[in-house]
Amino acid sequence: MLSKITVSPAPHTSEKLSTRQVMLDVIIGLLPAVIAAGIFFRFRALAVIGVCIAACVASEWACNRLRRKPASIGDLSAVVTGLILALSLPPAVPFSVAIIGCVFCIVIVKMLFGGLGSNVFNPAMAARAFLAASFGAAMTTWTVPATVDAQMPPIAAANTAATTQATPMAWSKMALKGQVEAQAIQGQAQWAFWGEVGGCLGETSSLALLVGGIYLLVRRTITFHIPLAVLLSATVFAGVGWLLRPEAYVRPDFHLFGGGLLICAFFIATDPVTAPLSVKGMWLFGIGVGALVMLIRIVGEYPEGVMYAVLIMNAMTPLIDRLCKRVPAGGKPNV
Amino acid sequence: METHGKKTFKGGVHPPENKHFTESCSIETVPTPKQIILPLVQHIGAPCKPVVNKKDPVSAGQIVGRSDAFVSAPIHSPVNGTVKDIALAPHPVIGRTMAVYIDADPDSNEPRPAAADPFDASFDPGVYSAEQICTAVQKAGLVGMGGAGFPTRVKIEPNPAMPKDTLLINGCECEPFITCDYRLMLERTWQVIAGIRLAARASGCGTIRIGIEDNKPSAIRVMAEALSRCSLSEDVEVVPVKTKYPQGGERQLIQAVLGRQVPTGGIPPQIGICVLNVATCAALAEAVVCGRPLTHRVVSVTGCAISRPGNYYVPIGMRVEDLIAHCGGLKETAAKVVLGGPMMGFAIADLSTPLTKTSGALTFLTREAVTRAKYEKQQTPCIRCGRCLRVCPEHLNPTKIAHAVKHFRMDIADSYYLRACIECGSRSYVCPAHIELPGYIKTGKLLKARAKKRLG
Repeated sequence: MLSKITVSPAPHTSEKLSTRQVMLDVIIGLLPAVIAAGIFFRFRALAVIGVCIAACVASEWACNRLRRKPASIGDLSAVVTGLILALSLPPAVPFSVAIIGCVFCIVIVKMLFGGLGSNVFNPAMAARAFLAASFGAAMTTWTVPATVDAQMPPIAAANTAATTQATPMAWSKMALKGQVEAQAIQGQAQWAFWGEVGGCLGETSSLALLVGGIYLLVRRTITFHIPLAVLLSATVFAGVGWLLRPEAYVRPDFHLFGGGLLICAFFIATDPVTAPLSVKGMWLFGIGVGALVMLIRIVGEYPEGVMYAVLIMNAMTPLIDRLCKRVPAGGKPNV
Repeated sequence: METHGKKTFKGGVHPPENKHFTESCSIETVPTPKQIILPLVQHIGAPCKPVVNKKDPVSAGQIVGRSDAFVSAPIHSPVNGTVKDIALAPHPVIGRTMAVYIDADPDSNEPRPAAADPFDASFDPGVYSAEQICTAVQKAGLVGMGGAGFPTRVKIEPNPAMPKDTLLINGCECEPFITCDYRLMLERTWQVIAGIRLAARASGCGTIRIGIEDNKPSAIRVMAEALSRCSLSEDVEVVPVKTKYPQGGERQLIQAVLGRQVPTGGIPPQIGICVLNVATCAALAEAVVCGRPLTHRVVSVTGCAISRPGNYYVPIGMRVEDLIAHCGGLKETAAKVVLGGPMMGFAIADLSTPLTKTSGALTFLTREAVTRAKYEKQQTPCIRCGRCLRVCPEHLNPTKIAHAVKHFRMDIADSYYLRACIECGSRSYVCPAHIELPGYIKTGKLLKARAKKRLG
């Protein structure tokens, strides 16, 4: 009888929760965005997503094999990474480029740093930065969504005969440079909300991202702190600009729905591994991400700033963690 | 009486309560076992030294172990019999310890009846002086019966350096499964109240608060009604608190009921509070009024893997296997035997381990109840999700502490307040990576203690 009894430290029971379940929730949260990508960019979008997931999982498996470690693909984190990377690529990206990005993000950014939980940077964002630097043209070619028709206003369908178009954020950049009127494009934020604009696979439909984000919040997979901090600080930043010079700066809602801000707030900045632990730290991190996104979009040379904003704040995370140590319930002890 | 409680602390978890196994079982008497094993360490403080020799005859209530240290409590024999041996015995918490083995005399041991409540509303604590109460408590070997086992005399005795004003009675029983305190409050209401009033008299506390979790509405009602029938000189109130683990931790209960915060690394008397468990109060009344030492206690035998769960009034020192036999034996599905509840209890490997003054429950868990991940000990890397931070009732950073201990960086572990951890287990309960955080924290505390010993 004794041989059947196990001994371990307390507690002897636990919630039915696992890393795999957490990752599965993120995947479910991203499904609306995947469906939206399928609607707007058709088969090509789904093919890119499939290739990225397969490449990420295969890379992780290969790393495990090479290092003679037990397979870690069961935790589904590679699937999440592949999915997020795919959703932040342009629809027309060549498969070879996508695969190079996947190998980079799993092998260099994740596994070389020690695998799940040890990476300093968000693997998908780091890989996207790598691709943007290496394949500039492929990473900035934006396909016209398949559902766009000639009746739509200029931002959605500048020219339906063309196969490529500028993203809403590129339009906002043009407004800053005085090439178009800010008022002329900001009225079209609704098209960006539904997703019938140019952009990365997963970022065009704000509606889908909001649905997925709310799912994560309801399931308590993420807490509201980081998304709220990111969106608030970006809104405030954009709002100040808009109030000062409405002819050059677009309205804050255009910034929220037009680019990658929502996918960043709900799915990328909330990556627990590369975000701070404490609530205070999460606020700081989120405010930093939101402010940097707007800084890059408005002052910087790039039309979109999500990727670099997240990477910069990832680098700050250890510092923030050290800065925002929790005070115990009974106050700091007098030693 | 409003039995719904809103008062609580920040953090905590909601494990399945599982009180249904034993909550309707009345306290039952257990026949005296053939042999009793009395470990000489049953409390926090100086361990006892045996004061009997091998082959000595002992009678029920006779002292078999004591210590001259201030923070200690003597240990009494619960039975008439003969000292068989003084040797090492398995101990649920510290592994092994010296113990007095007593062979019970088969003829002269009537089991102590469980039911009788010798008290009623007319009880007047005023006939005993504070000094009398403290002496009786010390003589009876009373320790905190909620789990920690701190000698009760040290707690209730007035201390001019730390004057106490509030007596807080802990009737939370926030651990899943356990119902021994609940049954005591229902069946020995008057005894518990007598104990509470005696403790208040001894400690000089004018304010008494009784915190009970709101998943025990009948206990809240019974206690409040009984109190309303007493003529009380003290300010007494039953306070329903929210059902949440670890609501019964004394620091958490103080925060919930009184809204005060015990300083980190401090103890309740520093802010004028004395916390006692209801079982301790019941034993206190017996000790002072009937002169009975602490030799028996109520133990909940519960879980899916025991044939006849229930609340039993057992002699302290009874072996776990004897109690299992009395309860109809283990089921085939038993995977873990836990002395205490599933959140903070100690898993034992040796069924000849004796019950001590602090054993409130024996929980028998099946593989399903233990959950697969815990059973197979599959730990995955920390993904820094922050769940442990959110549930920590002491607002610590458990994952950072665990990582620091893992790499023997005690300086870092200290900077995250390793010592402030109350080891409630909430963090491990929610951890999606199934990291044995309490294991690391216990290791860390042990390493600290060793380092201190080396230096000192």
